Amino acid sequence: MSNLQFALLVTVPVLCFLVIVVAYPLGYALWVSFHEVSFFGGYSTEWVGLDNYVAVLEDGDFWRSALLSVRFTVESVIFTMLIGLGLALILRDLRGRWVWLRAILILPWAVSPYGTGILFAFLGRGQSGIGTAFISLFGSEETINLIAANIVVEYLALGNAWNLAPLLAFFLLASMMTTPSRLYDLAAIDQINRFEVFLHVTLPPLRFTFFVFTCIITVLSLKQFDYIFTETQGGPGNASSVLTYQLYKISFVNLELGLGAAMSFYLLFLILAVTLGLYFFWGRREARNA
Amino acid sequence: MREKRWTIWMTLSVIVALLWTLVPMYWTLKYAFETHSEIAAFPPLIFPPNPQVAAFFNIFGHDYTLASGQVVKGSGQAQQIMLGLRNSLIVAIVVTIITTLVVVPLSYVYARLEFRFKTALLMAVLLSVSLPPVSTLIPFYSLYVQLDLVGTLTGLIIITLTITIPIVTWMLIGFFRNLPPIENLARIDGFSKAYTFIRIIVPMAWSGILVAAVIAFLFSWNEYVYAQVLVTGSRAVTLPAAMSGFLFQVPNPEHLAASLTISLLPPFFIAFFLQRHIVEMNLSDPVR
Amino acid sequence: MKKRETGMTRRGLLQSTAGVGVAAAAGVLGPFDFARAQGMDLAATSGEPIYFRGWNFRTDVVQANVERYNTNLNGKVDYATVTGDYPSIMEKSLIANADLDVLYANPSSAVRYYGGNWIMPVDDMPNAEEIKAGMYDNIREAWSYKGKLLGLSYFVSTRGTMCINTEKFQAAGFGEEDYPKDWPELYSMLYKLRDKGEKTPYLAHWFAEWFGISWGFVFEMMNRGGVMADPETHKPMMTVDGPAGQTLEDWKKIWKDGFVPEEVLSYNEAAYIDAFRSGRYIISPQQIYDLKTFNDPEQSAAVAGKIGFLPYQGQPWGLIDSAMYLMTSRDRPDAVTDDVKKFASWYGYKNEDGQIAVAERWMKENMLFSAYKEVMESDLAKETIQASISNPDDYEKLIEVYSHTPFPKGIWSVVWSEEFNAWLREKLFAFLQQDLSVESVITEANDEIARLNKKYKID
Repeated sequence: MSNLQFALLVTVPVLCFLVIVVAYPLGYALWVSFHEVSFFGGYSTEWVGLDNYVAVLEDGDFWRSALLSVRFTVESVIFTMLIGLGLALILRDLRGRWVWLRAILILPWAVSPYGTGILFAFLGRGQSGIGTAFISLFGSEETINLIAANIVVEYLALGNAWNLAPLLAFFLLASMMTTPSRLYDLAAIDQINRFEVFLHVTLPPLRFTFFVFTCIITVLSLKQFDYIFTETQGGPGNASSVLTYQLYKISFVNLELGLGAAMSFYLLFLILAVTLGLYFFWGRREARNA
Repeated sequence: MREKRWTIWMTLSVIVALLWTLVPMYWTLKYAFETHSEIAAFPPLIFPPNPQVAAFFNIFGHDYTLASGQVVKGSGQAQQIMLGLRNSLIVAIVVTIITTLVVVPLSYVYARLEFRFKTALLMAVLLSVSLPPVSTLIPFYSLYVQLDLVGTLTGLIIITLTITIPIVTWMLIGFFRNLPPIENLARIDGFSKAYTFIRIIVPMAWSGILVAAVIAFLFSWNEYVYAQVLVTGSRAVTLPAAMSGFLFQVPNPEHLAASLTISLLPPFFIAFFLQRHIVEMNLSDPVR
Repeated sequence: MKKRETGMTRRGLLQSTAGVGVAAAAGVLGPFDFARAQGMDLAATSGEPIYFRGWNFRTDVVQANVERYNTNLNGKVDYATVTGDYPSIMEKSLIANADLDVLYANPSSAVRYYGGNWIMPVDDMPNAEEIKAGMYDNIREAWSYKGKLLGLSYFVSTRGTMCINTEKFQAAGFGEEDYPKDWPELYSMLYKLRDKGEKTPYLAHWFAEWFGISWGFVFEMMNRGGVMADPETHKPMMTVDGPAGQTLEDWKKIWKDGFVPEEVLSYNEAAYIDAFRSGRYIISPQQIYDLKTFNDPEQSAAVAGKIGFLPYQGQPWGLIDSAMYLMTSRDRPDAVTDDVKKFASWYGYKNEDGQIAVAERWMKENMLFSAYKEVMESDLAKETIQASISNPDDYEKLIEVYSHTPFPKGIWSVVWSEEFNAWLREKLFAFLQQDLSVESVITEANDEIARLNKKYKID
């Protein structure tokens, strides 16, 4: 059995399953994006060609939301990478009777995005938040509110990273475990300092994991909806109404299915373009280096 | 001296990491031990003044009498919470088993073997993960109505698999790549591919496979967007959908916090056993 | 001359405040026989399940009610709550012709559902005339569309009842004689309270729900005597120098002067209610039935017994927020449809003993007002309301506030209602956060209504 045959044997059934399940919704979305669908005063559909796609591009809110999505995603990736790496190093170095702390440090990952939104909403609001409680200990009557238009996206990204970083940390830890320990022994012989060990011994085998997770977190963040929905409802005002939120309003609340479908294809293109871009400029190099 | 300074640094960073991890959870989950008045207090209370567990009884439909004599009524949402717990467990376990069985060989193949069309096939598998749920919800829903899958666990399991399979494959690929190149040795010994995979790779990758299973479990345990449309208001309701009832229309932060706490227990136990296993994996470095 | 959005009459309730006893007559008539006379037995016969769905409000009460029907009348009603974004999810169920027979809905949703041919009006029920006769005229009109009554009474409320923390108000040196009579007075009171050192005198109805900021604008401009759209033709009617413009001018002023914490713009309803319950604010527009919640020491220890409301002094407060039980028109055998009507009648009107039992229970448990005169004018209602508010003597004042409340027929009794609402919500947020001009918002709102009228071919 050749490699290709073995690969096809395990891939084709999965692919068939995915195609069968996803094909209809995707096909329907494509069809509807070229139509205007009306439910009221009798159900009707009308072919409108590319009108929906043009309308989306001409909509200022679309561009504003797209920028918010990108900002949220880039920040989520950066925060998750830094926090995930930090957690992984701590997880690795927890030894002996402290080992059980590992179970605690990976706990945020068990919280749903939906639940994370709830936690960070209560935590960040001036009314109920920890900042307000803390300064009130010192007699202040002010509030500290993190759900504010100028910083809400950063705050959301931080909560997203809180939720996702332990997942990354766990994979980094698993990869670290497979790094042959004789490399560390060699480093010890060379008497290089901890930072250099980290840079030259610990980090290199993790690079592919970083690449994979950059892709995964990018995709998850661009798709993120329930977390933002429960935490800020796209607010305050419109300050965090990212693309998925905009889509939800158009397709789900307003029932402008054609417009929503066209917009969701732009989102899909964005997701694909970013992941393919990451693959070509980063992933291929990592694949070769491995 | 250097070691001592290192220990101090290490202790400090562990403390920071613990605070970072626990404070956001503590802040809301403490509501489960407060009355609604205490939750609404301004400025917000840092510790529950009179900790009690009424909410945990309430969400399962039981009244609870506080020390003050005040009776806290059971929640009418109890039936759905219990159904949700059961259904979420079923869905999560089934999804975990199927995902793991499918994903381990799949990610092994893409991580370790070279063949034509590799990139294209991989992209095809991963494509479905790029679909934002918000944009496929409505077509999915109408498809499911026609197939009579709305309000069924089967329907939810199918849709959850389209998310877990690609994403867990993607995650595991990185893990398999880092394993030592053992199959070249195995091939010399004349093992077949499947045999190499099952007898050599799988035991070596045991920790990665467990992680994959846990991720699959969590993704399906926590899935909310599809659940809120496909199974809400039915016998197949899942825990996140049942829980969300405490947030809308009528605020019950104490019940919300109690059910969030309960929803954290299964993943927590899993994570606890998993980390023990990962510790054992420490010794599994085959090259050493 | 001020013109209201609806021909809301207020005689029914004013009568009730004059003499409660008279109305009990209807109950004596024995509607059980009445139903019989119309050939309507409430017991289920088809043996098929009836799917009943609602949002999550006191599910324990609903569950108990349904069980009673199932036990006493051989019913097979399957009840469950639908959580999350309720109106949108129900709309999907209706579009997909899913298993759904009876559901909760707000009037604007109901109009939309009727526009999609998904619901069966009350007029199709054998006892429709009797049901209609039992309702207050203003509510029946609010719930009617194209001459059909869309649903049965679940609850009626004044959203925008101006709740006031009397203790804090007095501590600032003010009394009942200082109660603002209208919106301009309310806003100038905020400045006076601030001068007395109150940092957060006002919790504005500007939260993020679909019934948040946009409804806040709708009721304020209506209270000031404005009309958003003509109740019959739905033509836009807002003017820059009229109530709509004045409302926005005032909003801009208090926003710039820092009276509204920014986070309010991200609140869901739970956060909005809890913020007022904390005792941090003095005045806030809330649901009329939440007066009971706020004055209940078990739920609101910080403010219980202290929450009063601004009385009617020539200007109404808030708008009529209400919900109905709707019957769907999905594909099902006639025998099942008959059962649906029977259950709806039992649940949304009178039970087998001729009592409006469900509505009475809502009144008793949560102070939910009803569209039925018989419920509102009963001793039970009076006792409940008196026990629920901080000062029992305010009963008549509360009924007066309620009976003056307007209903925005022009923008709610039309299929584009929810689309316009979503648009308005966005635009108002942008108005505050991006400092748009009053003129541009009013002009664009009028244009949007005109565009929607054109889209749905409404002349």
